[in-house]
Amino acid sequence: MTRTRRATTGIIALALAGIIFVIPFVFIGLQAGKSRTEAAMLAFSLPKAWLFWDNFVAVVTARDYQLLLAFFNSSLITVLSVAALVVLSAMVGYVMQRRPSAVTGLAQIFLLVGLMMPPAVVPTIGLLQSIGLFKTMTGMILIQIAYNLSFSTMLYRAFIATIPRDLDEAARIDGAKPRQIFFRVILPLLKPVTVTNIVVQSIAIFNDFTGPLYYLPGRDNVTVQLTLYNFQSAYATQYNLLFMNILLVTIPPLIVFIFFNRQIVAGMTAGAVKG
Amino acid sequence: MSGVQLKNIRKSFGALEIIKGIDLEIAPGEFTVFVGPSGCGKSTLLRMIAGLEDVTSGALTIGGRDVTDREPSERGIAMVFQSYALYPHMTVAENIGFGLSLARRPKAEIDAKVNAAADALQLTHLLDRKPKALSGGQRQRVAIGRAIVRNPQVFLFDEPLSNLDASLRAQMRLEIADLHARLKTTMIYVTHDQVEAMTMADKIVVLNGGKIEQVGSPMALYDRPATPFVAGFIGSPRMNLYQGAFAERAGCRTYGIRPEHITLSETDGRWPGTVRHIERLGADALVYLDVEEAGPMVARSEGHAPVAIGQRLWASPIAGHEHRFEI
Repeated sequence: MTRTRRATTGIIALALAGIIFVIPFVFIGLQAGKSRTEAAMLAFSLPKAWLFWDNFVAVVTARDYQLLLAFFNSSLITVLSVAALVVLSAMVGYVMQRRPSAVTGLAQIFLLVGLMMPPAVVPTIGLLQSIGLFKTMTGMILIQIAYNLSFSTMLYRAFIATIPRDLDEAARIDGAKPRQIFFRVILPLLKPVTVTNIVVQSIAIFNDFTGPLYYLPGRDNVTVQLTLYNFQSAYATQYNLLFMNILLVTIPPLIVFIFFNRQIVAGMTAGAVKG
Repeated sequence: MSGVQLKNIRKSFGALEIIKGIDLEIAPGEFTVFVGPSGCGKSTLLRMIAGLEDVTSGALTIGGRDVTDREPSERGIAMVFQSYALYPHMTVAENIGFGLSLARRPKAEIDAKVNAAADALQLTHLLDRKPKALSGGQRQRVAIGRAIVRNPQVFLFDEPLSNLDASLRAQMRLEIADLHARLKTTMIYVTHDQVEAMTMADKIVVLNGGKIEQVGSPMALYDRPATPFVAGFIGSPRMNLYQGAFAERAGCRTYGIRPEHITLSETDGRWPGTVRHIERLGADALVYLDVEEAGPMVARSEGHAPVAIGQRLWASPIAGHEHRFEI
């Protein structure tokens, strides 16, 4: 292929990607700067007057600074559940990979079930109510852990399969107990896949809309995705404020993604070829 | 210094028996090499001595102490793996001192022992590096260093040189032999390479199909192989072995003659044949003959021997170097 042709196809591909990924984002940005009446037309146009700051203040102060509370709640849920996910699934993945037995075989089936079966909402709410965890942050965190444990464990197990067993054995000969083998030899080597896992899980949990909607009702329990309801009602939707809210809610995951993009790919492909 | 005794050691994986009853006595300070083809159970046997595989039945003693059911770290052994098994996230110093730090020794003691080991293995300038930044030979030395600081009664080596290139392998062979001469510790070394076995061992244990085929010093195995298997395995190029009518005429079930114990002549001799191929190695040449009554035969000759492909030659065994087996 000649150089010009290669360049042309490259430009076309970039333009297509731009239309698909960038245009919606630009649209959000434009809407977030418009006045209420102008935004209601949902036109792809520049605002007549930029009301970006006014909209920003309106969104943040809405319902007694509810957005800030939502950010706090969402961050708390995300940090605690991701931390628990990393520790639990790395340990489970290690045992499942290193000690195949009837028990790990059964656990494997449960993992697959966890991946394939859609969660049943009503029975889950019933269970939460009966053990007193409905409408609590603890309940929400446990649910996020349960929902994501399968994927996370599979990720770790696949990665641990690429770590030679000789290392475990060398550590055993050096006098390490199983716990020490895991924490001092294996866990440090899981860094690439842990970064991947943290990023993927925290974006998913932070952006989760239905989970908090079903299991975490209540004014004080609001999470960021639920604040989007603030400006939407059956009769009047304030599109300018809605889009400003979307913009604010999208920023944290975007930052995480931009910074860890490289490591995510590295973690996903680690072990694919011998390093 | 302590010896190792194996009494009727067996190992089964399910219904499959890998090690079929091994009795072996390794004297204190001896350099013993387990050699055999792949799948003969030599690595499994070593891993059983190390405690990485359970012993199905039998007893294992190290230094007079029954260690059959002990943890690897309680057996007084250290092991060097084929893959080196260095911890990739630790520096060379941390790798060597890992066992000591697990045992919660004081930092000064760890440093002193690590430095002493590094000094002995010329690793001092590499102590701050990660294994990734080392060459194959250096990694191997770090693995040996990690074994030395444990101050073991028995060193175990599992094909430690098979990932190195030929010249480095020869060098490391010498270094391990030096190490043995210096430490005078019992060493057990597993390899499938008969050259390593011949050059390093005090005692060679030839294994085949989970059983001991023969035990002895390298030259004893070379001079007096007990079975055709040992005869074919020890010595390079391998011994010419014949069965059937040819062996019967020689008065045995299997007849063997080493290439270096055959003389070639252009005029007369025991077996007439035609030269099929010649490999000139420099100091000597290997002549591949098609012998009429026996089939292919390899003979070792002087490097400049005036032979050509297609030439007719007579091969004769040197008296006293023929091997006759009844199996």
